[in-house]
Amino acid sequence: MANDEDYQYSSSDDDFPEQQYYEPLEHRDITNNILDDYEYLNYDTDSLESFNSDVDIVDGMAVSHVTNPNKKRSIEGAMVNLKYECFTTQDIFNNMLEKVDRLQPMFSIPREDIILLLQKYGWDEDRLLEDWTNKMDGLLIEAGIHINNEQKELPKSQRGISNRDFFTCPICCEDQIKETYSLECGHEYCISCYRHYIEDRLNKGNIITCMSCSLALKNTDIDELMNGPSSEKLMHSSIKSFVQKHNENYRWCPFTDCKCIVHIQDTTEFVEYIRLHYSPYVLCNESHRFCFSCSFEMHSPADCEITSSWIKKAKKESDNLNWVLSHTKECPKCSVNIEKNGGCNHMICSSCKYEFCWICNSDWKPHGSSFYQCTMYNNDELKTQTVIEDVSKTLKRYTFFYRMFNEHEVSAKLDWQLGQTVGNKIKSLQEKMGVSWIEGQFLTESLKILNEGRTALKWSFAVVFYSDSSHNLTKIFVDNQALLANSVEDLSALLQIKSPETIMEKKVEFYNKAGYVENRTYALMECGRELISKGIVKITN
Amino acid sequence: MSRAKRIMKEMEAVRDDPEANIDLEFVSEADIHHLKGSFLGPPETPYEGGKFIVDIEVPMEYPFKPPKMKFDTKVYHPNISSVTGAICLDILKNAWSPVITLKSALISLQALLQSPEPNDPQDAEVAQHYLRDRESFNKTAALWTKLYANGGDANSSKGNVDQADLYGIDQSLVTEFENQGFEKDKIIEVLRRLGLKSLDPNDNETANKILEELLK
Repeated sequence: MANDEDYQYSSSDDDFPEQQYYEPLEHRDITNNILDDYEYLNYDTDSLESFNSDVDIVDGMAVSHVTNPNKKRSIEGAMVNLKYECFTTQDIFNNMLEKVDRLQPMFSIPREDIILLLQKYGWDEDRLLEDWTNKMDGLLIEAGIHINNEQKELPKSQRGISNRDFFTCPICCEDQIKETYSLECGHEYCISCYRHYIEDRLNKGNIITCMSCSLALKNTDIDELMNGPSSEKLMHSSIKSFVQKHNENYRWCPFTDCKCIVHIQDTTEFVEYIRLHYSPYVLCNESHRFCFSCSFEMHSPADCEITSSWIKKAKKESDNLNWVLSHTKECPKCSVNIEKNGGCNHMICSSCKYEFCWICNSDWKPHGSSFYQCTMYNNDELKTQTVIEDVSKTLKRYTFFYRMFNEHEVSAKLDWQLGQTVGNKIKSLQEKMGVSWIEGQFLTESLKILNEGRTALKWSFAVVFYSDSSHNLTKIFVDNQALLANSVEDLSALLQIKSPETIMEKKVEFYNKAGYVENRTYALMECGRELISKGIVKITN
Repeated sequence: MSRAKRIMKEMEAVRDDPEANIDLEFVSEADIHHLKGSFLGPPETPYEGGKFIVDIEVPMEYPFKPPKMKFDTKVYHPNISSVTGAICLDILKNAWSPVITLKSALISLQALLQSPEPNDPQDAEVAQHYLRDRESFNKTAALWTKLYANGGDANSSKGNVDQADLYGIDQSLVTEFENQGFEKDKIIEVLRRLGLKSLDPNDNETANKILEELLK
């Protein structure tokens, strides 16, 4: 394309050609917004008493501070009684060691042996104690701590490393081995084979035994052999397999590279959660929020069922759709290729300065002042189509929603990148404006709210896809969606601001917009829950 | 380097013990990591008299990782895939230990033929057959041994083997549907899919299900 070179693919954070005009966005006064919404949501009062009263309360809270703790909970899913703890493997490891210390006086065997026993019993203290009282010696042989006196075919030897001349290792078949290792059982192998063997087993989390018999290597033996704290690695993998085995009560945080484990003692509460169409969200120590029941990111207003079938469908269909969702788009006016590099959907073509919406490709002007029409799927248009086109219609419908979902996912990722720069912004606020660190936190807070809003928005498209579009509540849900979309874009645009002076000037606006996004997010979630509990959402694949 | 040394040593050990009736040889001299092993079917089993060939791939990490083994010879056995020859045996997976040799692994396979583990099956169809009708299973397994594991001379007769016998399906059941005008191949395919080897003459429900499948 001839115009391609005109367009600059920006790589640095300082260069956002499409978003350079954030100022002209028409920001309404927050109180107006609330009034508008209030009226808007009340336009249908007969069928939706309860729903409207919810919104009523929420909108009433719009003026409250962004960091209101009560409201935080409501975003998590309104049910407050979910009790959970968050660990890291290190925490669990330390607990294990405490447990060992507690048991030691009772067992009066070395600590290392107790660790072996606990490993054998999957760290189940009670079961171990029960068996211990029943068959002490048998247990020690079973766990590979004591040698079984019946197998006497080999001369007993010292546990540890020995120096030998001309030893031939039966594993690698090398002769002239100088250093060997064996346990009391006398099965002797060269030290390098032993190391190799242990290295291979460390990740499996099971007790490592002699290569020939069931005599166990203690943690101290492993460390002696490996010249380092390798046994800790074994302990960690032992904990990993423990978590996997107890996946009823333990869950790994699904976020990449997060090492947290969330533990819920009593999962019976979940029944109540599911009955009310709430999802049991938990927050790990690294502030990652995820659903304990399906191990997905926060997916409200969708429930676990919608989430899983949506994901399944997306996997199935994505091959057909990938071409639609390529990362670049042409400017609707001048056809220059445009790459989106910020979270905001308000695009300004760098070559012809045409302002348009990334989602619907049409002129931006109608977007700014009212809520987004483009998040509403235009059903009327399709009514004119004949029955023969039904299949393509379904696909087209799905494509639409999948695209919406995807756009917001991409936007969320870009917002996250934006988040990386927020820290710098706060720093520059501190340096240039003399703003205290704590005062600068409104930026981080806003970003967090923006993320939550986007995530809710994203999943709401899965809900709409499965909803009966003729139902009134679906219409209200879609309207709510549009309101959230609008507020999210506003906030996203605000967060693009670079100059510290402008940021401080607009601090109140940050609070207002963020608070508004938060309320809209909550309203959308509640509306989605209503939709699901009334059975308007039907999962068909 | 230890791997090459160990493989050579293992070859030697197999050669030094001709009584075990186990063979181990390289597929080609150029590649010491691809071998073929063979052993004889254990006596007093349907596999008696057969010679079973096993394809062996020795991984880089051998002997710390198990060798990959699968049957080249077709075997009718619950823990061996009747299609691919894949083997379900713990010592070839998580219970592997570096002290196990190729020879001892082949002996374990021999022992597996002796005592199948139908509750941990590789081939569900075969395992079901084994559990439901041992006599019929033994007949089929013996037929497969004769057909596939008896060296070159059996090859000539392979073409004449009845498909129903090959999968241990009751001849009269096949005939019954043949008389209704269905193709034999189709009947066998459907019966295999449904996992049926024989049919109680009073079981109309199953008979209808077969018919339904045949008419699809």
